Formats: sequence, structure tokens, C-alpha cells
Amino acid sequence: MSTSAEQPERAAFVRAEGVLVSRGVLSAVAYMAAHRPGFRERGLRLLQTATAAPLFAALGQRDRALGNRIAHLPLRDMSEDRIAVLAEEYVEDILRDKVLDTGVELLRRLRREGFHVVVLCEGIDEVMGRLVRSLEVADDVHANRLEYKNGRATGKLEDPVLGGYEGGRFVRDYAAERGLDLARCRAYASKGPDIVLLSAVGEPCAVNPDYTLRKAAREADWPVMDYPA
Amino acid sequence: METFDVRSTLSGRRILMTGATGFVGKVWLAMLLDKLPEIEHVYVLIRSKGRPAHERLERIFNTSPAFRPLHERHGPDLTEFLRPRLTVVEGDVSKPGLGLDPATARRLRDEVDLVVNFAGLVDFNPDLRDAIASNVEGAIHTADFVESCRQAALLHVSTCYVAGHREGRIPETLDPTRTPNGTAFDAEAEVAFLHDLVARTVVEQDAPEVHDEIREQIVERLERRGLDAKESRIRAMASRLHRRRVKEALIEAGTKRAEELGWPNTYTYTKALAEALLAARAERIPVALFRPAIVESAETFPFPGWNEGFNTSGPLVYLAGTWLRHIPAKHHNKLDVIPVDHVCKGLTTAAVALLHREHRLVYQCGTSDLRPLTMDRIFELSALAHRRHLRLHGSTKARRVLLSRWDIKVSSPEGLLSVRNIRRVVHQVNRFLRHGLPTKIPHEVRDKADELAHDGENAERRLRQIEDVMDLFQPFIHDHDFTFECRALREVPIEDPEFRFDPASIDWRTYWMDVHMPGLRRWCFPEYEGRERESYEAPHAVSLVGEAERFGVVELPAAKERTS
Repeated sequence: MSTSAEQPERAAFVRAEGVLVSRGVLSAVAYMAAHRPGFRERGLRLLQTATAAPLFAALGQRDRALGNRIAHLPLRDMSEDRIAVLAEEYVEDILRDKVLDTGVELLRRLRREGFHVVVLCEGIDEVMGRLVRSLEVADDVHANRLEYKNGRATGKLEDPVLGGYEGGRFVRDYAAERGLDLARCRAYASKGPDIVLLSAVGEPCAVNPDYTLRKAAREADWPVMDYPA
Repeated sequence: METFDVRSTLSGRRILMTGATGFVGKVWLAMLLDKLPEIEHVYVLIRSKGRPAHERLERIFNTSPAFRPLHERHGPDLTEFLRPRLTVVEGDVSKPGLGLDPATARRLRDEVDLVVNFAGLVDFNPDLRDAIASNVEGAIHTADFVESCRQAALLHVSTCYVAGHREGRIPETLDPTRTPNGTAFDAEAEVAFLHDLVARTVVEQDAPEVHDEIREQIVERLERRGLDAKESRIRAMASRLHRRRVKEALIEAGTKRAEELGWPNTYTYTKALAEALLAARAERIPVALFRPAIVESAETFPFPGWNEGFNTSGPLVYLAGTWLRHIPAKHHNKLDVIPVDHVCKGLTTAAVALLHREHRLVYQCGTSDLRPLTMDRIFELSALAHRRHLRLHGSTKARRVLLSRWDIKVSSPEGLLSVRNIRRVVHQVNRFLRHGLPTKIPHEVRDKADELAHDGENAERRLRQIEDVMDLFQPFIHDHDFTFECRALREVPIEDPEFRFDPASIDWRTYWMDVHMPGLRRWCFPEYEGRERESYEAPHAVSLVGEAERFGVVELPAAKERTS
């Protein structure tokens, strides 16, 4: 986590997946599962990731936090060292090409306008935190954190799990801690479960929204931003 | 509590170093001169091997990367900087009186405050005569010399692995009356026994029947090769073979004795013997035994990754980058690895304690008690570092795509895919290709089979080498799980954080992947692969001072500038 020294007056909360990058959580997990040591382990964990995919999709609109927990289970018993190295590889070889230029520009513009930009990621800190920090477009990055015991991942995410309805509570706590007026804050997100996050601020904006969020944005009269193809 | 200031303690002190040409010795000497220029004088005792001692050290100063920081800091003025601080002394620790000439010895006895004895043979199973000369008699002669000095203390560099075949937590203590397997031990009597063992072994190998056997072997070999069995040729070959037989017999005798008493090899046994002999003198001279664990690449000084030689974790790490999949080690066993610059800080700490005469007898210098590193993690990090390197720099597609993802596994030495079993299979295939094929086969098939057998024999040779390395390392990576207590160094109240021994600060992932492995790849792997290692040549050559110059006989040459 990185925090700017000065106390911000206004913040912009941005969900990384969908606004800043076009790849989601499962892609990173699949990459790591495919590069575990040993052929048996690789096969088993890839199968586990494939099984988690439909569950993640099904839970996506209801309980995104649970979806994220299930999605990260294939990382169980993987060493912290391997996760760190594979995360570096994944970010450099795959994820960097999936960064949305319009998203980067949006965040830069927000910072120029004086917003304290807070990026929230469903992916783990080793992957998403690394990527977002390297882009140097955010003042603060919060990503999900894997739980480790004796240098090995337990497959669990540490609480609070970012994603879905937790986003609203996170934003309120964040604002309270820093004395921010949420009515003057902005939020950008692209998935249905982020409705709570968007509702928490005075100036919400749906970016490349999925069906649920687009419908909600229309009903709530929120601005919708679609990136050019 | 009183604290020790390293600079003021060492300021104005005179130190005599032996074994400064070794890996740790060089780094400590460089660190001392670079970080503590307040020191009054360093005398470096060095043997003359075909050339004067000061020329030997001069060459090391000008070509060893360990001295790079000094060259960078002082540039063409390095000779001027060294002139009042460093003197090369010709001598030999394996000789009584350190092989010094009487005048030099007299001066050193009056001047020296501390003697640091790095000299020793680090081969695991050397010729017993060499091990006794370097590791045992070298230590005794150094202690004798210290005893004859006006005010000197002795810091003797040993190894944590004098613990031998013990298990678990190894305290910073020494019981000179017991061996690791509990046998009663008298160090003086053991030295006499070893001399007797060497004499007996040499006599046994000098028996007429041994000479006859050697002669028969040579004649048979010459006849097999269709060479002329001339008497002069036989005699020359017999002499060489006899020397080799004596050496092998002495290696075996040393290893056997070490095993009998509970040490895994001659190196740890002779080092332990030296410790016992020195401990007996602790009442007469201020002495400290400094035991580093497995000394590896520098973390920061002289620069990240500096290493030399290929005899500690190097071979194991190298194997993690080959097609081999099973390494005989035990899950969760620790391998106590410590960067050389941490060892040097520890040495400085122990030296300061000794100079204050507030020292302990034993200082262990490792990481296993505060920052343990397990075998599993070592192989995981090594595999990941190889992966990172091979993905980008693999010479073939197979290496970039497959070998980079080919992870090594820690397994039992008796496992199905052990090196030994693989070698046996390769051996059987080779035998079949050489002798098992039907006699009536086409000429082309026979040629192809011979070609394959030739490759197979090469592979078998490499596997045999690996197997030998594994056998040497097995006590440390499989048989025993040591935790070396390293409290004594941490408890020395060093004021300056720059010199404080702090193994807890090591981040193993960063060290292994970004420092140690690139260092091994740059400085050590080329040697194993038979390639030329990167060379270093100082931009401004230094001229060192031999004791003759120092004591006013010869005028010093001016600093030379390289033209290349």
C-alpha cells in the first residue's frame, strides 16, 4: 500500500479490473496453476481453476467476494517465492499488454484535477498491486492479499476480501479515516456488484459496464463511459 | 552497558593475517582496508609459490574483483594509500615459527596486536598429509607464534561443521575431550596418531608387492595399447602411479579416521582437531575460534554477487538448472548459508571483542538460528532463478521453453530416479551398445551405436561426477539438520550499525535470485563448464610492500599505470 503524505480533500475510487485492465482474476490464477512445480500438481490445479471458472461467473453478480475466494483456491500450497516470481512474469509478459490506455489516461486526468486516486483490485497484490504501482497513476493501491503460512499460500484471501459489496464498506471506512466528504468523491467501476461502491460516492461513473451495471446506471442516471474499441 | 566502537578499537592496531589469498580472507582484507583505514598496519603472511610473496599478493590485488572497491575509491593513489598500511610477509603456517626469518619474526612479535588465521585447506577429503600440515599444524604454529608475541591475540577461522555427525541445535561451545559420536578424545594423542597413520600408510604403499602390482598394471596397459614397454617409460609411469596410490591411500585413511570418530570428512575432522588443540591454550593466550557456516556470495561488499570457486552450494544450485529432476536432500532440513560480507562483519566483531579482551572462546557465524533457509526453499529459489534466466537467455528453444519449466524435486537418495539409478541405466545402455549388439549387423548401424555409446559414456562420466558431489554433500543436505546457535556475535555490543553482525536482515528471495544466482552464473559456473571466467584487471596496478621494503632495505617502486 502506498499513501500520499498530504491529506486529500477529494478521492476517486477506481476498480482496476474493467477500468484499468481488461484481464480478470482467473487468468492470473490459471497462469500460476500452469506453472506449479511438478506435472501432477500442474494438471490438478489447472483442473481446479477450470472448475472454479463457472462458479466464479455464477457468483459474479451475487457474491463477488466468495467468487474471489473460490478463484484463488488453486494457489493453495504454492510457495510465496514462486507466486512472487510468477506474478512478475505474468505482469510483464501478459498483463502489461492488457492495460487499457483510456483507463490510464482517465486516472492521470483525475490526478491532474486534484483527486486522490485510490485503485481497488480483486486480483492479488503480487499481481495487481505490482502492475498498478508500476503504472504510477494511483496514490493508493488496495488489492486482495493471499494468506501465507510458513512461506506457503493457504489458498485463502485475507479479510476484507475486495470485490463486490465489500467495496461500499471499504470506501466509507476509507473516507471516514481520512476525513473525506464522500459527496465530493468519485468512483469508477464496470461490474454489477460494484453498484454498492458506486452508490457510496457523490459522483459515480460506470465504465464499460456489464449488463447489470449498465441497467442500474441508466435507472440511477449515472454517467456511463464506454472506451473506444 | 559498555559498547564497542569498531573504529576506535581498531585504530592504531597492527594485524597479522594468514590465508589472505582465500575467498573469505581476500574479502576481509579488502573490507578492513576500505572501511577501516584508521587501522595502523596489516601484515599479510603469504607463501612464495614460484614468485616472491609480495608479487603474488600484488597480482591478487590487481586481478581479484574483491579489491574493486579499493581501486574505485583510490584509483591511481591506491599504492600510496596501501604503502603505510600493508606489508607482505613471506612465510608458511605449516612450518614452525610460521617460516618467518628471525628479524621479521622479532619485529612482528613486538608489533602485532591480533593474528587472524584464515589459512586452511577447504577440500573435504584431501591428502591427509596436506590436511595435517594446513589445518592442524598451521593452527599450532600460529598459536605458538601468538604465544611468543608481546601482546597479540589469536582469531582462528574454523567451521560450524566441526559439529560432525550431530543433530539439531549446535551450541557455541567446545568439548575437546569428546568427538561428535561420544568417543573419548585427546587432541595431542590424536595428532601423534595421525602422524603415525601417515607413516604407516606410506610404508604400506611402499611394500614390494605394491610396486610389483603397479608394474604389472602398467605393462598390461602398455601392451593393451600396443605401446613399447620400455623400462624408462615403465619406471616413469610407475613413479607417477605410485604417488597417486599413496595419495589415494592417505585420502582414504583420513576419511576413514574421520568417520570412525564422528566427522563426515577429513576437512571437518582436522578443523575440529585444531580447535581442540587451540582450546587447550586458551588459558595462556587470548584466543577465539570463529566458525562460519557455508560461506556464499557477497550481499553487498565488495559488490553484490561476488563469489569464487565452485565448492559450496554451487554444484547443488547448478544441478537445479539441468535436466536432473531429483536431488537427494531431506524436506525441511536447513542448509546454513551466509554471505561472505556478513562473515567478514562477524570476523570484525569477534576481533573487536578479542582486542577488548572481552571475548568468548567460540563464535558461530551462520543464519540457521535466526533466518533459516530450508533445502526445499533453496531448490525452489534456484529453480525459479534458472527459470528466469533460461526463459530469456536459454541457448536453444528446448532450454527456453522446457528446461526453464523443469523443476527440481527434493527426494530420497534411494529414490527410483536418483542420480545413481540413472547412471546405472545409462551404464547398462552403454554396455549393450558396445558389447550386446549382434555381431552380424550392418556397418552403419554399428557406427551409429558406437557414436551413441560414446555420448552415453560422456553422460555417464558427468553423472558419476554429480554422484560424487552428492555423496560429499549428503551429510549436510540430507543426513543432518543443524541449527547453529549464533548468539555470541550478536551479543558483542558493537556501536556502529555498519559493522554489526545482523543475519536477520537477509531477505533470502532477493539474495538468492538477484544476488547469489547471478553471482554464481558470472563467477563460478564458467569454471565448472570449462569456460573462461570473466577477468578483472585493475585500471591502475598497485605495487605492494614486501617485508624487506617495509623494514628499510629496498626503495618502493612508483605506482604503475596500465596502458591497456
